[in-house]
Amino acid sequence: MFHWLEKNPFFFSVGVFVVIAFAGLIEILPNFAEASRPVVGVKPYTVLELAGKNVYKKDACYECHSQLIRPFKSETDRYGQVSLSGEYAYDRPFLWGSKRTGPDLHRVGNYRTTDWHENHMWDPKSVVPQTVMPAYKHMFTNLADVDTAYAEALTVKNVFNTPYDAPNGIKLGTLDEGRAAALEDAKAIAANMKNKDVKDAVARGEIPEIVAIIAYLNRLK
Amino acid sequence: MNGLMIKGLLFAAVLIGATIYVVNSMKIDLSDPINLITMIGAVAIAVLTVGVSIKYINQMKTDKATGELADENWDGIGEYKNELPGGWAFSFLGTMIWAVWYFLAGYPLNAYSQIGEYNEEVLAYNAKFESVHKNADAATLQSMGESIFLVQCAPCHGETGDGLTGKAHDFTKRFSKEQVLHAIVNGSDQLKYAMGAMPGGMAQGADAEAIAEYVAGGMKGEQPASFGVCAGCHGADGKGNGGTAPNLVEYDDALVHQVVENGKKGSIGAMPAFKGRLTPVQEKALATYLSTIKG
Repeated sequence: MFHWLEKNPFFFSVGVFVVIAFAGLIEILPNFAEASRPVVGVKPYTVLELAGKNVYKKDACYECHSQLIRPFKSETDRYGQVSLSGEYAYDRPFLWGSKRTGPDLHRVGNYRTTDWHENHMWDPKSVVPQTVMPAYKHMFTNLADVDTAYAEALTVKNVFNTPYDAPNGIKLGTLDEGRAAALEDAKAIAANMKNKDVKDAVARGEIPEIVAIIAYLNRLK
Repeated sequence: MNGLMIKGLLFAAVLIGATIYVVNSMKIDLSDPINLITMIGAVAIAVLTVGVSIKYINQMKTDKATGELADENWDGIGEYKNELPGGWAFSFLGTMIWAVWYFLAGYPLNAYSQIGEYNEEVLAYNAKFESVHKNADAATLQSMGESIFLVQCAPCHGETGDGLTGKAHDFTKRFSKEQVLHAIVNGSDQLKYAMGAMPGGMAQGADAEAIAEYVAGGMKGEQPASFGVCAGCHGADGKGNGGTAPNLVEYDDALVHQVVENGKKGSIGAMPAFKGRLTPVQEKALATYLSTIKG
């Protein structure tokens, strides 16, 4: 056996690889499988939240805001509980970011409200005088892309078995049902907003980006 | 003494000489024990290098191959049977025993954990905070409260606590008239005081107006007769009956605790709960600071 291996360097290399990889298999794979499992209570994104997540990506919020609370007291005092890997199970892609020009947003839904986000996106300096964040007024007129968000949800449902339409879970349904559910959610959010144009648009059945991104930010808990 | 030995000693002498030259030219202070030990080490390395080299060069010149050949041979290249040196064998066995211990107990019981370190940090900090600020004086509470306010409250209530022209509750006074009217009309059961929920519509029309005017004015001047219905829970002085109902005059410790714990939704909008974010001392500090904003 060993003589044979010594005369066949290729299979000898394969043998070496298997022996060394074994440690990795038993150390890395079980940890990885456990860490990537969703934390109890984490649900997939609704269509409106996904549309808001796309606005977040489109306007590159991740350039200045992170979504990862590290295990330091100074950080958990300000932003809330430490982030766990299972909380990102339904993030495709995750939006950890790598820079904090602005604060971390991973649990912003716990301590900011719909009307605060509305004021802040329209004119950040009206609520935080020294802020360097620019205004995002275009979000009040641009419409959110609900169809793309639905398509993304349907894709991850079919390809990755994301538990949409599970009992007591997030309902996805057909495209028309998805659009209707997004509009329902949007109406609930617009009810807490003050901007008349946004309220009118939602009443007409349109969903401005600001409503979608507030739905997304409120969900970050 | 053969030629090799002489060459070796000369080489060692050159190395030592070079070392001394460098030490002198760099003006290194040999009264410093670290420098002295380093110097002695450098000399020892020179002597050892030469000595070991001479030993093996001599051995290569004179040694003859002896011993029993092993059965294995590779393309005619053989190998002598060689006993395992005792020290090596024992340390190998020791390593195996240590590996079993490390696999079963050493690593699993002593592994580093990031969350564990975080938990220790939090526990240590909280214990220190408790011991330092257990009986904090008013000035400490005041400045602590200001820091907490600026981080946790100012984004909505504004840095001066004025509520940013109606976007949030205005701390420069206890209530606006609209807020009091909203509470009288709609009632409130959000703050979870011991007294329980306040039903809506306990006073109507002109009575409600009069109460709102009086409470928003800081409960100064003549008390309207209709305030009696409020006094049942809030007390005749409006101070909340010793913390069993909301204080209508001051931001006292109980009020700050209940709002932070439960959040609130009123005529302006919703405030989320900040449950578990502040310690009792920090809540007290916040109450102290809010009282000074109100003036």
